[in-house]
Amino acid sequence: MGTREIVSLQFGHYSNFIGTHWWNIQETGFGYNGTESSEIDHDVLFREGLTVNGQVTYTPRLLLVDLKGSLGTLSEQGNLYEPLVDPSTADTNWNNKVEVYTSTTEIKNQFQEELYKTKNPREIFKKSFDFDNNVKVWSDFLYSRFHPRTTNIVSEYSHKQSSCFEAFAQGTELWRTQKFLETFSDKIRNYVEECDSFQGFHITLDATDGFSGLSSSCIQYIEEEYEKKPILAFPVIPSHYSDDKGIMSEPHFPNSFRVMNLAFCFDALNEHSSVFVPLCTGSDGWIQPRTKIEFNHVTYDHKLYYHSSAILAAALDTFSLRYRMKTHSYTLKDLCADFTTNSRKVVAASVCLPFSINEDSDFISCLDKWEGPLTKSITPNCSIGTDKLLQMFTLRGIPETRLKNQLSENKAQRHMPAFHCNSINEMLNFYLSCNYFYTLSSVTNVAKGVSVRTPFPHFFDDSVGANGNICATPRKKDLEDIPILAGLHSGSCIGDMIESLHSETKKIKKLDVGQFSKTGIEMQEISDCFDRLLDLTECYEDNYL
Amino acid sequence: MSAISLLNPKAEVARAAQALAVNISAAKGIQDVMKSNLGPKGTVKMLVSGAGDIKITKDGNVLLHEMQIQHPTASLIARASTAQDDMTGDGTTSTVLVIGELLKQADIYVAEGLHPRVLTEGFDKARLKTLEILDNMKIPIEINKDSLLDVARTSLRTKVHAELADVLSGICVDAILTIRKDEKPIDLHMVELMEMQHKTATDTQLVKGLVLDHGSRHPDMPKRVTNAYILTCNISMEYEKSEVNSGFFYKTADEREKLVKAERAFIEERVIKVIELKKKLCDGTDKTFVVINQKGIDPMSLDMFAKEGIIALRRAKRRNMERLALACGGIAMNHLNDLQESHLGHAGLVYEHVLGENKFTFVEECKIPQSVTILMKAPNKHTLAQIKDAVRDGLRAINNAIEDKAVIPGAGAFEVTAYKELMKYKETVKGKPRLGIAAYAEALLVIPKVLATNSGFDAQDTIVKLQEESGLNPEPVGLDLTSGEAINPKDFGIYDNYVVKKQIINSCSIIASNLLLVDEIMRAGLSSLKG
Ligand SMILES: Nc1ncnc2c1ncn2[C@@H]1O[C@H](COP(=O)(O)OP(=O)(O)OP(=O)(O)O)[C@@H](O)[C@H]1O
Ligand SMILES: [Mg+2]
Repeated sequence: MGTREIVSLQFGHYSNFIGTHWWNIQETGFGYNGTESSEIDHDVLFREGLTVNGQVTYTPRLLLVDLKGSLGTLSEQGNLYEPLVDPSTADTNWNNKVEVYTSTTEIKNQFQEELYKTKNPREIFKKSFDFDNNVKVWSDFLYSRFHPRTTNIVSEYSHKQSSCFEAFAQGTELWRTQKFLETFSDKIRNYVEECDSFQGFHITLDATDGFSGLSSSCIQYIEEEYEKKPILAFPVIPSHYSDDKGIMSEPHFPNSFRVMNLAFCFDALNEHSSVFVPLCTGSDGWIQPRTKIEFNHVTYDHKLYYHSSAILAAALDTFSLRYRMKTHSYTLKDLCADFTTNSRKVVAASVCLPFSINEDSDFISCLDKWEGPLTKSITPNCSIGTDKLLQMFTLRGIPETRLKNQLSENKAQRHMPAFHCNSINEMLNFYLSCNYFYTLSSVTNVAKGVSVRTPFPHFFDDSVGANGNICATPRKKDLEDIPILAGLHSGSCIGDMIESLHSETKKIKKLDVGQFSKTGIEMQEISDCFDRLLDLTECYEDNYL
Repeated sequence: MSAISLLNPKAEVARAAQALAVNISAAKGIQDVMKSNLGPKGTVKMLVSGAGDIKITKDGNVLLHEMQIQHPTASLIARASTAQDDMTGDGTTSTVLVIGELLKQADIYVAEGLHPRVLTEGFDKARLKTLEILDNMKIPIEINKDSLLDVARTSLRTKVHAELADVLSGICVDAILTIRKDEKPIDLHMVELMEMQHKTATDTQLVKGLVLDHGSRHPDMPKRVTNAYILTCNISMEYEKSEVNSGFFYKTADEREKLVKAERAFIEERVIKVIELKKKLCDGTDKTFVVINQKGIDPMSLDMFAKEGIIALRRAKRRNMERLALACGGIAMNHLNDLQESHLGHAGLVYEHVLGENKFTFVEECKIPQSVTILMKAPNKHTLAQIKDAVRDGLRAINNAIEDKAVIPGAGAFEVTAYKELMKYKETVKGKPRLGIAAYAEALLVIPKVLATNSGFDAQDTIVKLQEESGLNPEPVGLDLTSGEAINPKDFGIYDNYVVKKQIINSCSIIASNLLLVDEIMRAGLSSLKG
């Protein structure tokens, strides 16, 4: 069977931050020297194309949506297929006066400038740029180049007046315009039509603003139009809002809208998606992301979307590998079937970045010395635990040669039961079976690590060596690929998460609910939606597994 | 665009007393930006984004929305213009101009101490009278090529240069007349608009059939067939693992393999059914067979079709199912039980055209096509978008004329006549509301005035000239934009839609009245999103 293609959709600014890192991670990780053959089938997410001049292109099979003014120096149609038209000579089909209104020209940052000029984009990896201070919008660190149909801008709302596209109903209303009902839907169809063995959709969406509604409508449409094709959705919550005062507070306008958007979004995803995985780098994502999740050897600033979205992207790129491999016959549909027993649709995700293994250690000793859980939850309000789970782990960056010390040098290893395992996969599975209870686990592993080449943030501390392992001496060279472990989990923790969202909705003031209703949703519908959340928690009760 | 920043967004907090002044200045502000758009000598706007994307428009409504309006007054006017566009597809610039002018006129009277409510009373009287005048000016039309061409041309020449406008007018009229059946209302969706980035705008053409934006996905399928049966269907012809057979946790490889076989056979049967019909109808004749499917067709099924010389297209647009049946005959099938010849459509010619990575399939030479395609061509994206907007306007204008069974003389003729009649009517009205009527009459004149200014003529001179001529002449009197002289628009085929004018008359006086009665507008503005 050939490649089983996936179409990716990204709705909203934070989703596009994540997406940008995700495409960057993949492209900077492509092996171009021809010696290494990848275990990953890149054609699952990318497509080959052809310009009118006969030039071959390789671009993400992607549609993204963002608001007007959010693109920075990226042009909507891009310049991959044809050069931008010069306004001074552009054909207007008009014989009388023409007035030109030019927005202030956006200036490319140094990274974009060099990427634009260089003949060999891979030279960029060796350089470093001050992304932390210069990234304003996601296109500022975009390494990939897009197909002309990829970028879709909503002209009704402006990015700069960030407070205007803030309610679910605004999004569902927007979906009903010709731009989405016709143009956007057609673009989805154009992608799907090309695929010989289309397996389904990846949809990353901002779940706390108007994009929650837009994407929900889109997902409903896809469900009807592409019945039987699985939809894996990732509702995401930004790592920080500028209104975060650092104190605990009751939800009140305008941030109570976030909670209501989330409620409506989860409700819609539960109805129309196949499986969805809420993601956030803050532990309490509902009104405010709050405490950021810490990772060993990483110093990141959660106020920078550029940082937090990189962590989520690395996780996404990793736990999605199972159905993107050349050798496996596992598909999105299998994943959805595996996770949706007892009409469960919500899945939690976790990651360990970097997967810290000492330079001089074997995998067996690494696991032997491991303390605490292997990964950290990146699903808000969800502590995964070690009990009654159904889970899938993906480990990359630990080659089989690191499994154990085959020679008899290390006596201690020989006495460990795990020494009988003959592959990384087997050993990790064994470890999981020992540390989790009443749990069904499966493991995928890939020898090569995740690419953290520029423009990925340089937020790893010095003890992470050039090969991604933990070293005693500080790193001299730039990082390239590093080990990472990511997981998807289903269990009673999910019920707790939904429960916590439900109780958050109960704290919202009547007045705010009224305001939300004014954006185009009946009051009754709002309380029905909140009630359905509560019903939802039931299918995650323990006794069902 | 920055022009709108003239409008002070803090206006929300303005007290009622100041609010009227604020409303008036806001309406004037928008009017100033939009003025230069009006008519065939107006200015086209090119909007260039920070990254260099180009958008070209001359449409009032598009422009208004590109301006990112925050001001509640302005957004109310913008909503009126959108409503105008939704309902009639035209007249949005005029709407904004007339609202602005009504407020300017009102300003003068209010400054002299007249209560706004008295004025709005007059506006309403004037509105009713003007509708009457409009009805009297209706010119009934025969629905034929010539009469429709006039309307289409008038509309399109305000959007693109004359040469292109004339090409597009011909195409639009031809398209509509082809799909029109008896007296039945026309479904504009049955005119498919297809973009092809290729050649130039004047190469845009009408295809009396369908153009699909995809082609066959099998190297051995024919690229061109004649005398073809067309099977339109919405039936999956791709193997898909069923729900029961998915998931790895609970099944063995063996179990899965068995299920796969059974499921595959099921899809194969569908393909075989189609092939059997094809064999029965086509083998031994010069007839050919084309399958157009809304669902997927996988490589194995494509291969089976290719071996039989059948062209099979997958993932057709949902709406094309209906269009295909109307263009070629036959029925869109949802199942294959009892598939027969009578279910199939027919096309004299089906062929593929490839442009880079894009494929197009032409389904042509249909006997009585009730669905057609306008194939728009242009060398770049922004021109394609511009043409698409223009074609939509043209189609709407023609359709309006057919529904109205009448047109209105353009070039300012209607407004000049309305002014004359309203001033007479004013004399019959008692009390202060007559001031509102006079203001209304004066405001309508903004249309011929701006048409004159945009063509380089003096507004006052022109109005005087037109009014003198109109005083002597019972025929409608409009403005010739080339000479600046009075003409009868009928002699030049300058016609506007009745329904467009009617909508302008109604919405302008209502919106202007709302803006004058500030209390109401304050509420309207604030109910937008936040309180
Ligand atoms: N050849 C012409 N000579 C004089 N006036 C004309 C001619 N063609 C059109 N007009 C006038 O131009 C006006 C329409 O201009 P235009 O189409 O630019 O604006 P609109 O219809 O108000 O708004 P929009 O089309 O932007 O929604 C009408 O009053 C019409 O009578
Ligand atoms: Mg017009």
